[in-house]
Amino acid sequence: MTDDAIHEEEYKSRLDLRLWKRVIQHARPYAWHLVGLGLSGLALALIEALLPLITAWIIDAATDGTVEVGESNLMLYAGIYAVLVVSICIIIWAFIIMAGKVATGLAFDIRRKSFIKLQQLPFSYYDHRAVGWLMSRLTSDCTRLSSLFPWLTLDLVWGTFTLGSVTAVMFVLNWQLALAVLTIVPPLTVISVYFQHKLLHSSRAVRKANSQLTASFNECIMGARTTKTLVRETENLREFDETSGGMYRHSVRNALQSAVYLPIVISLGSIGAGLALWRGGVSLGESITLGTLIAFMQYAAMFYIPIQELARRFTDVQMAQAAAERIQGLLDTEPDIRDSDEVLARIEEQKQHDPRPGIAIDGHAARIERIEFEHVAFAYKDGEAVLKDFDLTVRAGETIALVGATGGGKSTIVSLVCRFYEPTEGRILINGVDYRERSLHWLQSNLGMVLQSPHLFSGTIRDNIRYGRLDASDEAVMEAARLVNAHDFITASENGYDTQVGEGGGRLSTGQKQLVSLARAVLADPQIFVMDEATSSVDTETEQLIQTGIERMLEGRISFVIAHRLSTIRGADRILVIDAGRIIEAGTHGELIERRGRYFDLYTSQFAKEREEFVLQT
Amino acid sequence: MTGKGKLLWQITKGQRLRYLSAIAALIAASCFLYLVPLIPTAVLNGVLADADEQVSPFMAWIVDVMGGRAFVISHLWVPAAVIAALAVTAGGFTYLRGRWSAIASESIIRRLRNRLYDHLQHLPCSYHDKAETGDHVQRCTSDVETVRLFLSMQIVEIGRALVMLIVPIPLMYMLDARMTIVSLVVIPPIVAFALIFFTKVKSAFKDADEAEGKMTSTLQENLTGIRVVRAFARQDFETKKFQEKNATHRGLDYRLYYLMAWYWATSDFLCFTQKALVVCAGAYWLWQGELAVGTFYFFLSAVSMFIWPVRMMGRILTDLGKALVALGRIEEILTSQTEAQIDAQQVTEPALLPEPRRGEITFDHVRFAHGTSEDVLCDVSFRVEPGQTLALLGPSGAGKSTIIHLLLRFYDADAGTIRLDGADITQLDRMTVRRQIASVLQEPFLYSKTIGENIKIGRTTANEDETTEAAVTACLHESIEEFDKGYDTLVGERGVTLSGGQRQRVALARAILQKPAVLILDDALSAVDTETETLIIDALRKRRGRHTTIVIAHRLSTLRHADHVIVLDQGRIVQTGTHEKLVAEEGRYRRLWSIQTSLQEDFGKQLTSAAHPRTQ
Repeated sequence: MTDDAIHEEEYKSRLDLRLWKRVIQHARPYAWHLVGLGLSGLALALIEALLPLITAWIIDAATDGTVEVGESNLMLYAGIYAVLVVSICIIIWAFIIMAGKVATGLAFDIRRKSFIKLQQLPFSYYDHRAVGWLMSRLTSDCTRLSSLFPWLTLDLVWGTFTLGSVTAVMFVLNWQLALAVLTIVPPLTVISVYFQHKLLHSSRAVRKANSQLTASFNECIMGARTTKTLVRETENLREFDETSGGMYRHSVRNALQSAVYLPIVISLGSIGAGLALWRGGVSLGESITLGTLIAFMQYAAMFYIPIQELARRFTDVQMAQAAAERIQGLLDTEPDIRDSDEVLARIEEQKQHDPRPGIAIDGHAARIERIEFEHVAFAYKDGEAVLKDFDLTVRAGETIALVGATGGGKSTIVSLVCRFYEPTEGRILINGVDYRERSLHWLQSNLGMVLQSPHLFSGTIRDNIRYGRLDASDEAVMEAARLVNAHDFITASENGYDTQVGEGGGRLSTGQKQLVSLARAVLADPQIFVMDEATSSVDTETEQLIQTGIERMLEGRISFVIAHRLSTIRGADRILVIDAGRIIEAGTHGELIERRGRYFDLYTSQFAKEREEFVLQT
Repeated sequence: MTGKGKLLWQITKGQRLRYLSAIAALIAASCFLYLVPLIPTAVLNGVLADADEQVSPFMAWIVDVMGGRAFVISHLWVPAAVIAALAVTAGGFTYLRGRWSAIASESIIRRLRNRLYDHLQHLPCSYHDKAETGDHVQRCTSDVETVRLFLSMQIVEIGRALVMLIVPIPLMYMLDARMTIVSLVVIPPIVAFALIFFTKVKSAFKDADEAEGKMTSTLQENLTGIRVVRAFARQDFETKKFQEKNATHRGLDYRLYYLMAWYWATSDFLCFTQKALVVCAGAYWLWQGELAVGTFYFFLSAVSMFIWPVRMMGRILTDLGKALVALGRIEEILTSQTEAQIDAQQVTEPALLPEPRRGEITFDHVRFAHGTSEDVLCDVSFRVEPGQTLALLGPSGAGKSTIIHLLLRFYDADAGTIRLDGADITQLDRMTVRRQIASVLQEPFLYSKTIGENIKIGRTTANEDETTEAAVTACLHESIEEFDKGYDTLVGERGVTLSGGQRQRVALARAILQKPAVLILDDALSAVDTETETLIIDALRKRRGRHTTIVIAHRLSTLRHADHVIVLDQGRIVQTGTHEKLVAEEGRYRRLWSIQTSLQEDFGKQLTSAAHPRTQ
């Protein structure tokens, strides 16, 4: 599965029928529309094959010596012609409408299904995939796949029947002449298939080059300042010129292929018309009329269109196959962290009852009294073990601080508590029950989380704080902001709480984002509170001010704090020093200092020297 | 409009001749293409029809060229061969047209892309501050693509439609004047209908595009913020939000199909009407004996040949509006002044920096404001001796980063002068100034290259030992060695995602390797853990004297070793001196120091009380 991230545009020449069988299920609700499209294609093919025939009859009628017959026939044929033209237009209208229904509806359905799936998939799925990659599943892949179905149905039927009916009509009119004209079909087919194949390859190369270009421009703008400080402009331009040169070569190659292909097939059409004139002219008056001869020449000229369309649709399918594979791959991924059937059954059962106070949706107690790690081990996919035989018991009201070097497993412990990942060995118990037997939604709606690089959604500051509790009143929002000392900077902004934070919170500084996300977590009123370097970019004075608010807020909750600042850690009920996935020390600040172990080293290294000097100066 | 025209004229430079050749080939191809149905016309009229029928002199001439009536009637393969030859010749010219127009337009676009890229990286920071990345990337990609389509397809298609329409008119007129009028009568309505239709529904296309944009950005926010979504269990809320956008997009997208259904049905109806008119009128006159069969065939073929390009023309003409808008948006970027252009107005001959570079920095009564807003810096003066370390301290928004930005000439001071080794930096070339300074900015940017290339990017001539040494100084070497591919590990979307601390350390190694006269660390170690930070600071202290250093940090431990500390508040220098001096005097520095050290004092008390029992 990780490979598909790299071989984004891999070319699949062989049709994977099993895949298409699955993909076609998505089109089920639109089966009647697709039948309608097929019928439109059929009708269109027949009418288009008839039109030259009508012309032929009109010509024959007009050149016929007997005046009376000619006049009435002429009117009749003109009438038939008009009826056919009107029918064509109605069919065209109808098939575009139907194609629209299928294409937009299918895209809508697939997007909905994929989005819901993405909300369920565990973080381990996201670990290996870039956001941009996931996005193109729901955008370009989805569009390509959903518009394939209606047009493929239409053109497949239309193309086949046009070829079939034109051939049939020609044979009925004059089989010798038909054979003569049909000699252009084999070369037409071979050339069309060959060139469509070529075009498929070169247009893929163009798209690839295009995404490189986009990435380069993105980097140019995002890194503008860095480029300036490094005075790298000339070198950058040279590298970009290579990229844009690649794009140039691929685009020209693609254009040249079309430039060769189209004249060849059109010439073949003319040659067919020439053949009709030659063979038909010889036997004119004997077995063939003038009108028939003209009809043959028209047929010969239009033969290349259905062949070309069919060849193109065939490459479309090849092109869409990669997209179909990726979308189906996403939809088929089963989230490995989800409610078990048993839990789901209990949730269903709970729904029958009136909500009982103190009972969560899964029938267990709503209040979290105790969280226990029991021999927990954890490793990320194909990685080394991050945690080994880890034991820990946390009771309601306790604040646990995690310290230690980066990569030691601090964030992993927190992610396991939040059930973003599940232990690979051992169990995590909530109130003595394995949390895999509890509702995932229930647990995660009791979380409050503040991360080092906080993510805000575009919208106002108020919207972002309210994300913690959607039904919170404006007063509650403000109160939360006051508690974390964010109120002052917010009211100082031009539009106060209605200030737009911009895409990803980009209009706020990192420190401000951290404060807003802190307020958001406070408002959520969670039972489990997690702060992972939550105030690292807040200046010292503000941090000092928030501290009392946070301490008040942590009362009665289970909280996990990861921080480098002593101020945040010192007040914790228990400090765990984590190294290489194990607790190497645990205790209160005082106890750990007394122990003179790793914690002692950690902080003496940083502060002892400072203290010495400070004492000397004062 | 004139600006856009000028830009278009400018960028086509060097390719205009090729374009002209493409047009010539286009005309030639069309002429040959129309000659093709002329042969059957001549054969039908002059050879296969009854001998006593009136034959136009032109047709008779064509028959004569092929060897005369008697010869042709017994050698009917000759006209067939002529048709094939004409078709192939037309094909050859079509190919040349395609080739030349592709090469011309792609060359133009390549140059336009390069120009945009280069222009963007030379635009001043004040421009980039306001610029939205997404919008600009779009201008450089989809707007350029719109212009490309205009140059490579639309101009050609319109030209083709015009040529296809104009070339047969004399021929048709020569054959039959009345039929010519009948053949052209529906053409104006077809073009007019397309023009009116697409002008009216323009907003529908825009609405659909915007709805798609909104849907995509909702998706993007959800995916980048997936941790927050999970942490608050907001999956249902997010799904509802996305579904709304998804549904709006579906509705507007379907509306486009609906509109297109009417467009194609109507315009096809018009086209078929045109054909039907030719068939009926032709048949009538044929029946009346006023029209030869061959002529009738020619008109039928000619209408089939020009009606479809003409139908497309209406559509394309409305797309021209899009190309003009895109060109305007591109022009907006290209006419924004670059740093060099701004400087050229003030300084005619940039001064030279005295050798050797020492790294002495002086700020002399510097004042700076962004636009017309309040002063960000006000009357700031200080001096850093070569090799010394200056620390900047103050609350966020005090102007610390602005000092750095002014020194790097991201912006220019509104008043006062900044000197580097005694030279006023506004008199120097910006590049010269920046070459002296290596900086690690707050949120470091890494290029999507390997880690090794990123470190070496400031000095590509550096050898492996130097690179490793820089990485060791930045406490990065071990982390890199842990990656499977070591220094060859790719950074960014397609490679590994580095943590904030790792990115900062890569940027630091990059700066160290530059061997600059001035090193700037703007909150450069904020995401690095304390232990590592201590190691880095020790390593940096060993390099003391090699370069002048300016440090911004929140942690006093980082600032303590500076030779000189400046405390800023609201753009003004409120305190200045050595650490020892500042700790001794009443003020902001001491207040900050005591906040951080009171914790340590407690810690110290515990330390001594804890130590005592053991020593006893």
